[in-house]
Amino acid sequence: MLRFVVRRLLLLVPILLGLSILVFLWIRALPGGPAEALLGERATAARIAEVRHRYGLDRPIVAQYWDYLKTTASGDLGQSISSRRSVMSEIKQRFPATLQLAIVAMIFALGVGLPLGFLAAKWYGSVFDHLSLVGSLIGISIPIFFLAVILKYIFSVRLGWLPSIGQISVTTEMNHPTNFYLLDAVIEWRWDAFWDVTRHLILPAIALGSIPLAIIMRITRASVLDVQNEDYVRTARAKGLSPQIVDSRHVLRNAMLPISTIIGLQTGLLLSGAVLTETVFQYPGVGNWIAQAIFNRDYPVIQGGILFLAVVFVIVNLVVDISYAFLNPRIRLSR
Amino acid sequence: MRRKSRKLVLLAGACAVALVVVGASSGAYKAPHGKAALKTLVFGTSADPIVMDGALVSDGESLRAIDQVTESLISLKPGTTKVQPGLALRWKTSKGGKAWTFALRRGVKFHDGTPFNAAAVCYNFNRWYNFSGPFQSADATYYWQAIFLGFKKNESSDLSPSLYRSCKANGKYSVTITLAKPFGPLIPALSLTNFGIASPTALKKYNANRGEIRNGIFTPTGSYGRDHPTGTGPFKFKSWTVGEKLELVRNAQYWGKKAKLGRIIFRPISNNTARNQALQTGEIMGYDLVAPADYASIRNNSKLKLLTRPAFNVAYVTIHQGQGSPMNDLKVRQAVAYGLNRGGLIRSAAYPPGAVVAKEFQPPQLFGYAKTGVKTYPFNSSRARQLLNSSSCKVPCKIDFWYPSAISRPYMPDPKRNFEVFQASLEASGFDVTPHTAPWRPDYVGKVSNGTAGDLNLIGWTGDYGDPDNFLGVFFGTYSDQFGFRNSKIFNILQKARTETNQAKRTKLYQQANRIIMNYLPAIPYAHTSPALGFRKTVKGYKPSPVSLEPFSIVSVGGV
Amino acid sequence: MSIAEIESTELALEPSTGGLWRDAWFRLRRNPGAIVGAIFVLTFVVVAIFAPLIAPYPPEEIPVDLPATCCPGPSAAHWFGTNVVGQDTFSRIVYGARLSLIVGVVSVTVGLSIGMLLGAIAGYVGGFVDSVIMRLMDMLLAIPGLLLAIGIVALELPIPKIYQLMVAIGVTNIPIFARLLRGSILAQRDNDFVLAARSVGVKRPTILFGHILPNALGPVIVQGTLALATAIIDVAALGFLGLGPDDPSTPEWGNMLNDAQDYLAAQPLLAIFPGIAIMISVLGFNLIGDGLREALDPKLRGR
Repeated sequence: MLRFVVRRLLLLVPILLGLSILVFLWIRALPGGPAEALLGERATAARIAEVRHRYGLDRPIVAQYWDYLKTTASGDLGQSISSRRSVMSEIKQRFPATLQLAIVAMIFALGVGLPLGFLAAKWYGSVFDHLSLVGSLIGISIPIFFLAVILKYIFSVRLGWLPSIGQISVTTEMNHPTNFYLLDAVIEWRWDAFWDVTRHLILPAIALGSIPLAIIMRITRASVLDVQNEDYVRTARAKGLSPQIVDSRHVLRNAMLPISTIIGLQTGLLLSGAVLTETVFQYPGVGNWIAQAIFNRDYPVIQGGILFLAVVFVIVNLVVDISYAFLNPRIRLSR
Repeated sequence: MRRKSRKLVLLAGACAVALVVVGASSGAYKAPHGKAALKTLVFGTSADPIVMDGALVSDGESLRAIDQVTESLISLKPGTTKVQPGLALRWKTSKGGKAWTFALRRGVKFHDGTPFNAAAVCYNFNRWYNFSGPFQSADATYYWQAIFLGFKKNESSDLSPSLYRSCKANGKYSVTITLAKPFGPLIPALSLTNFGIASPTALKKYNANRGEIRNGIFTPTGSYGRDHPTGTGPFKFKSWTVGEKLELVRNAQYWGKKAKLGRIIFRPISNNTARNQALQTGEIMGYDLVAPADYASIRNNSKLKLLTRPAFNVAYVTIHQGQGSPMNDLKVRQAVAYGLNRGGLIRSAAYPPGAVVAKEFQPPQLFGYAKTGVKTYPFNSSRARQLLNSSSCKVPCKIDFWYPSAISRPYMPDPKRNFEVFQASLEASGFDVTPHTAPWRPDYVGKVSNGTAGDLNLIGWTGDYGDPDNFLGVFFGTYSDQFGFRNSKIFNILQKARTETNQAKRTKLYQQANRIIMNYLPAIPYAHTSPALGFRKTVKGYKPSPVSLEPFSIVSVGGV
Repeated sequence: MSIAEIESTELALEPSTGGLWRDAWFRLRRNPGAIVGAIFVLTFVVVAIFAPLIAPYPPEEIPVDLPATCCPGPSAAHWFGTNVVGQDTFSRIVYGARLSLIVGVVSVTVGLSIGMLLGAIAGYVGGFVDSVIMRLMDMLLAIPGLLLAIGIVALELPIPKIYQLMVAIGVTNIPIFARLLRGSILAQRDNDFVLAARSVGVKRPTILFGHILPNALGPVIVQGTLALATAIIDVAALGFLGLGPDDPSTPEWGNMLNDAQDYLAAQPLLAIFPGIAIMISVLGFNLIGDGLREALDPKLRGR
């Protein structure tokens, strides 16, 4: 186990390094890079050369990369052109919002997907089972942005039950020690704010969690079906153990293994889904931020944001790998 | 086995029911508010201000917020472009129109308690005049450069010698501003928010003169514009969380009629439709730039009302002339004019009711509008084809046509629709159109000014102050890369009108200019719109202004 | 009878399983989901191919006199109604299918070909080359699909936007197929028949093309169908975010959905039609992909 973990950690370095090179080259390939795009109407050839020199853009590319690596590793991701704040401070404010949304979406997906999948497996072949399969396929096939627009239209604009935009009502004043608004509300003991934030999270979380829900439902169903037919379950039943114990101690616990891997693998889906969901609900997270930055050609944000997300993704995958190793006794008990 | 499953089903069912009950029982979602909130106005804006320093901004959202906090020497009668005393009570000109003396209001204090006086006024003007380094970029001081042309020491050959000479304090309550040349539109120009007077103490204390160019964009680095904007206005700056809200509170020491609101919260919501939805759900109480598609939903909602601004803008198609461009040929320009289905576009749902086809480059209500003798170009695709075939660019005439993406302008609510309709009608008129697009800021605006946005591009203009120079002079007064033409007749007449101080003479000159322009066709105007704001009916007293200078101090929130 | 003859008779008496493909087809035909999927996909493909014959109007056609308010709903002249500039929604949906199909098929084919090539090289050559290629694939996989596609489209390569979309989505598919083929090769490399073939002296390429690839074909086809479904959603997502072709009159479903947002209160159908069109095509491919996966699952053979 230890060797496995160490090996995975060591692999992290070349992957992150490779990512930084990829992002750096990508930035250089972006059209009208810093010099042209932003000298705007005063972009004469002489001016461009001057700006290039001032920002060190005419130095050899390896030297530029080294500078880039140094500044990025020290946490300086540059400054947003639209908001004129540092990219890092925007990330500190926006990432907790996206993380919160992703976690709530995951809770929704698990909370509904697990029981549905379990029941579908239990009632294999029934109408419920078939309906749930169809439902899950529709869930995977419906575009997130379509679902988000429809949800917003029905529940917010037409019925007026839930708010349509943002993370919190602008008239709710609160301190934000952690920038996780739900957590902040608890820390500050403000249940009105907690409720307010929750109401803002419901629709985006449902839209974002729709695909993970469908996948979790199917995986659970498949996994439970597999385990149910295993010999040891049959033995347990034959021994006369009560159905509940068989289910909880044998079926569920062993079915959990593939499900836990899937949860980690949903991160990529959640991140790209967040871009679309946050745009529709104007939710102030990193997804919306990057989408706006692409429109505004806010290059520092695009490069900093995408690099950040990629790093998060890599780290989450690492954690998933390691926790899988932990859960799987075959790996855990190896050297 | 059965029991466990049934329990799960019951649990799931209970959750679903709970969700529905929660949603339905709470009825319409109401943003939380209490007694104190009755006097707070939550206003939805399209973006955060860039910075709260009038001298350094040119975008509508910054100006809207700054306008509540600072005041200029000249102000406008709410809802009009008529000038009236602001911080200056009276003014007169002398020395052949080159010197203007202003008598200042007495007993006025800045928000930090320091007194407003002649020294403060001159400090502000001289601060702007002495801007150097990064502050001289067009990105930073657009309006100073537009009106006064240059600085004390111009650091770039793109800047002309400054129109401003000096500011002299005559005692405590009188200033004389001297110019290099007479300038007809000076008084209305001084009503601009950009010339609001700020507290010299605050400007100095919070390093308002510190800034640098980062990533090619001007960025102020002092804390004045971010945390301590200080003026004399009916509202004081309270706090600003970027991306969330900008908060202003009532100035209880205001020299004039105190504000009826206790608090204003500006909430940035970048998407037009999202703003509309926020208004419908009550999360905001008003917003600007209502999309034409949302007019009906606001009018049909008994709790909401729609207010329109008097038309003071123009949407136009830039025609870029230059090296080897087909547009150098007048016949081709005329073909474009006949080939644009302007009437069809304006009458469609892409434009709000009340929009009119523009016959000239300036709005009809502004003096200088020529009522007769102006050439018009009703849509006529066969005429356009004829013209092309007798021109230097035979059918099909290949052109590049640009439009901005991801933006909505008051004169051009949905650029994509404008582009589609124009593309279709131009193609029917013998043109071969290649579409191009770029995001509004910085790319599109930059390319249009640069002249690198193809042969034709969609853009427009909202007047800043009530003078035709602000429409015609700005664009056609001299050579510009955007249009790429040189026509001494047009340049001369506009220069003459700019330096003329007799109103009647100026009117005649501008009327003549409008006729010449519509013959020469440096660009093709196509719409004037009355942009709209949406409010909840409980918001009273808001007066839409043609130049978007709308004081919140006369606004009140009543009822529930 | 000799022992050999008895044995051969016994062999002949065993029910023939007909081979992997025949079995798969047999199982597929009895899968209701797959049949529904096939119907959806067939409709989608037919509509896409015969778009000019099916659509009553050119999708970009704008009348001279536009409707004064947005937007007239379904009528005899316009079956799905029209949009703000008077374009026929039904025709645009039909042509949208064509665009989605073309971009989807091309991008998946590109991703599949390059991916399989890389995967084959990595799997068969092994060693350092394998490591390098797989690290590269890991890095590509490190960036979530949509973000990677957005990143590539943002590069604004000097080719028409539509090709950029194909490249962007194609690139997101490369690592998936590379991994798939490499995995398949690695799994089969030490198989008995491969060892046997090598010991007899069969050349490596022959083994690759004759044995390994056909066995990998099943999962590749399944993955290809699912990749097509994802590609259709990704094209629409990019169009929704405004990264589609420059011409706003292009009939692309995601683009149409984006435009419809502004007019949602006036005419929700403008959003519903493209949304459902996307859903049906994606659902079709997902159903078939699922059905294929089950049909080709060797564990279920002979049951």
